[in-house]
Amino acid sequence: MNMIYILFTLMFGGAILTFLAHKVSGLLRDTLFVLTVLASTVLFYTKIHTGDTVDFSISGLSLQWGINAYGRIFSMIVLGLGVMASFYSVSYMKGKERLGYFYFNFLISLMSMMGILMSHDLVSFFIFWEMMTWSSYFIVIYNGKNVQRSGINYIIFSALGAYAMLMAIVMVYAHTQSLMIPDMMQAFPFFPAAYKIWLPILFLTAFTVKAAMMPLHVWAPDAYADSPMAYTSVFSGALSKMGIYGMIMVFVTMVNYLPDDTWFRETIAWLGAITAIMATLWAIAQDDARKLLAWSSVAQLGYIITGVAVGTPLAMLSALFLSVMHALFKATLFMAVGAIEKQTGTTKFTEVTGLIRKMPWTFISSLLAIIGLAGIPPLGGFVGKWMLYESLINSNHYILVIAIFFASTSAFLYCYKFLFGFFLGQEEKEWEHVKEAPALMVLPMIIMATLLLVFGVFPGIVLKPIDLGMQTLGYSTTAGTFWSMSGLFNEWGNQIMMRPLAYAIGGTFLFFLIILTVKGFKETRYVTTKDISSSGEVPLEHENLTFSEGFYQPFLRAVCPVMKRRMMTYYQGFGQGMEAFFDYLRRVYSGNGQTYAIYVIVFVVILLLFKNSLFG
Amino acid sequence: MINDKNSQKIVDIIQNFARQHSLWVLAYGTGCGAIELPPTMTSRYDAERLGVRGAATPRQADVLLITGYLTTKTLKRVIRVYEQMQDPKYVIGFGSCTINGGMYWDSYNTIKALDRYMPVDIYINGCMPRPEAVLSGFAKLQKLIQAGKADGAKKYKENLEWYRANQKNVIPNWRMPEYNW
Amino acid sequence: MKEILYYTWGAIVSFVVAFSVGITYMGLNRKITARVQNRYGPPWYQNFIDVIKLYSKKTSIHHGVMHHMGPAFIMVTAVVSLLVIPILNGNKFFPNLNFQGDLIFLLYIMVFGPLGMALGAGQTGNPNSAIGVTRGLSQMAGFEIPWVMALVALMIQYKTTSIVDLMNVQVESGRWLMFSSPFAFLAAVMAMLGMFRYAPFDIVGAPQELASGPMSENGGKYLFVMMSAGSVFTFAKLTLYVDIFMGGADNLIILVVKTFTLYLIPMLYGITSPRYRTEQSVRWFWGWPSFFGLLAILQAALF
Repeated sequence: MNMIYILFTLMFGGAILTFLAHKVSGLLRDTLFVLTVLASTVLFYTKIHTGDTVDFSISGLSLQWGINAYGRIFSMIVLGLGVMASFYSVSYMKGKERLGYFYFNFLISLMSMMGILMSHDLVSFFIFWEMMTWSSYFIVIYNGKNVQRSGINYIIFSALGAYAMLMAIVMVYAHTQSLMIPDMMQAFPFFPAAYKIWLPILFLTAFTVKAAMMPLHVWAPDAYADSPMAYTSVFSGALSKMGIYGMIMVFVTMVNYLPDDTWFRETIAWLGAITAIMATLWAIAQDDARKLLAWSSVAQLGYIITGVAVGTPLAMLSALFLSVMHALFKATLFMAVGAIEKQTGTTKFTEVTGLIRKMPWTFISSLLAIIGLAGIPPLGGFVGKWMLYESLINSNHYILVIAIFFASTSAFLYCYKFLFGFFLGQEEKEWEHVKEAPALMVLPMIIMATLLLVFGVFPGIVLKPIDLGMQTLGYSTTAGTFWSMSGLFNEWGNQIMMRPLAYAIGGTFLFFLIILTVKGFKETRYVTTKDISSSGEVPLEHENLTFSEGFYQPFLRAVCPVMKRRMMTYYQGFGQGMEAFFDYLRRVYSGNGQTYAIYVIVFVVILLLFKNSLFG
Repeated sequence: MINDKNSQKIVDIIQNFARQHSLWVLAYGTGCGAIELPPTMTSRYDAERLGVRGAATPRQADVLLITGYLTTKTLKRVIRVYEQMQDPKYVIGFGSCTINGGMYWDSYNTIKALDRYMPVDIYINGCMPRPEAVLSGFAKLQKLIQAGKADGAKKYKENLEWYRANQKNVIPNWRMPEYNW
Repeated sequence: MKEILYYTWGAIVSFVVAFSVGITYMGLNRKITARVQNRYGPPWYQNFIDVIKLYSKKTSIHHGVMHHMGPAFIMVTAVVSLLVIPILNGNKFFPNLNFQGDLIFLLYIMVFGPLGMALGAGQTGNPNSAIGVTRGLSQMAGFEIPWVMALVALMIQYKTTSIVDLMNVQVESGRWLMFSSPFAFLAAVMAMLGMFRYAPFDIVGAPQELASGPMSENGGKYLFVMMSAGSVFTFAKLTLYVDIFMGGADNLIILVVKTFTLYLIPMLYGITSPRYRTEQSVRWFWGWPSFFGLLAILQAALF
């Protein structure tokens, strides 16, 4: 039997076994769950090689599964995050209800993501895509709170995307009589002109819904915030990347062959940039950590979309690199929020403060993740941002680069809010009992945060598989021209070497840290956060002076004109308009027999009038 | 080789010079004396040419300037501020109220002699002392620092029990962190 | 190994120079402020004395590990940006890492320190510190826009992101970029007003409002490191402006003259100004300075 079958059998069978084991014992269920993820990861990386394919046919449709180097980039994200999140969720979900349901859907969504990456035909792609949507939908509504808003929004927008994709698939099949993706790619340059425009638009509708691009992003903040944090790390880190996976394919295989692709690229790139700016501003305004990170995910995907849409080799490199980095740091941050939620029971910045001494490991990993998110050297986020800026400047997107820069500078605001809100500020008696999260939750965070640092100093480790994947997409190799193991180059030949800079940063930091520590070591005291210089007053036990209410009020006052308009209000207006329209239309059913008789007569008259043109 | 004692002497001279010419003042504006500080700092008398400069918080300050009478309530805050300052720290009592109570000598809720509650390095007398007197007070303090005799913090540390007893005597609800330097 | 020693030596030399020049500038700032206010003012070396005094404070307190590390973070920004910015034309006497990094790296390393220090300030639990930090970050979102616009304009005009290349352009053509790209210079100088945080943009440390904001719990050695970092960073920023817009410098004397001339702009603007509110300050940077930045980009793209 082919290894690809075994992989899917393993994941699907594991899901069902986990579901059944829930009835038997909790330990068995957890073990089966983790083992399934681990075994499929090991199987994928040891037995399945790039270029492996398997053909089969169902009711006359010939289908093909296989993996290429491009899919491997994303499988790295899916399986890597899957392993981390599975360990995490065993500890995080302990003591919650309906765990069989949760683990089943978790595994199915991992499997369907692998399926998307491995399907070489449009039918299995669509089926796996729908499985991914539904399994994630079931987890979004798992908590049972806010279902109306988050769950329904998510499924409606996903359905919109799925219909668009289905339409596109039917169009392709009608024209080429083949469902294979490679066939479609080869045939695309010879499609009629109308097809050439509509196919990418339809496919992009499906993919940008998952990648949460404006104006189709409305579902994302609620859905990310309302699903359990153990899954949100996968949801935001890996599942949204499936949208990016599809978008890159569309851009490489379709948009490149458009007669005039500039306007298309510019539109998508600007939509990405506007998504980044607006989502960043909304993230700054949030008081709940889950909401903040959810909006920040939307913003980060905006950068990636811009990189994809610009489409030069450097931009594509940066988009793929940022995808991997975003998976790492956003998963770490969502896991940190989950750990805090587990230990304190709340995720609001206004309620919990001063956890740094109680949860030091969570703090360190979220600190590293935040530095990566903000794009500060020498962590991974900087490498991606650097390549994005350079590619935008080199490809003459001057205003776009300012927009992206504005979004990423404003991102410092919510980055600081996250760290300050949870970990810093005055230590309160209410949270004195809080302990560090269990080791199973802390370890994945620390591993991912460390990886972020390693990838920042040696970006070549990640860029190498990305380069292979881009060669599959038809780009020429970028190794040596744009990157080396720890160096980056732009199209003008300017360079940046991460390793010596990282040494300089680390060395300076250590040197001055030692000076600070050694100088007057015995005369330096630790004092509590109640012992502050507040006009000679001593804050009492219950008095909390931490500044957390209205944190960025002046900034929000400065940007309030742009934040008045929300996409959601337009959709609601559209919905209300439709409701009113159909309410009006409903009145044709007057309940009066004579009115119905008139309808019949009018219908017959119309038939007679247009008899010739209709049936002739 | 450098003689250890001699090199310590040189370091002391440099440090005392720096401490002497860089006095960051936390002006605790009680009573009417605070009004004499703006003319002292601004262009008529310009205390900044002596290196005297305002500090925003006790953590950064060197000199605590108490400009007038202290009610027992205020005394508690002043002690708090004094304990938050970093060593070496100096106290200047300003006006006759800090010396003997001045016109408040028989008031029921003000203290009369400041140095029963914290070590005072320099008193500036007068009611009010004019900016010239304030400047001369600073000059005197600088001389004391140069000679290494302004060691109020050391005195406070050594006689902490006595000071604490006096402080607790007049402050009814004593709720303050321990002073453990 | 030899290379590392070489660069470390360069770092030490440029650090000493930057420290002494920067701290003299801050002393001169106080002196000039005093003269404008019709005072005699402190001696020009007053800030040296202040720094030595802060160093010789006997005791100090901290509120936790982050607070303890905060000043080291800000020192990293100061020293690393000094390492990446070429001090003299042709990299002579001050060997540094400017061939390893570029302008975008510099933009990001310049926020490394303030963010680290902000974390330290956050841990103190003093509300004034946190308010100061939020103001500072808001203001940064303001002034970074015209500043980046100016830099992008230069980058696209001369097709390079390296500072050394920009300096070489000026040396070869003999024409300073402040004359050939006047709008970029205007936008960058207006952004500099925010970068130096003198009035009217001193909303971060406003002593009368926030009790010096993020620094309000720092004393003794912590304040010493922060003050030194501030002076080194002042010199680094001024050198960057001179390198980019004023053709760099061939020797230290020219560098000092040019940087001091540039330093007079935020200083004199500050002495004669009151203070903005936060949102006024943020919006100010998104107004005329960004307009000039846009003009600079247009000029670079079209001509």
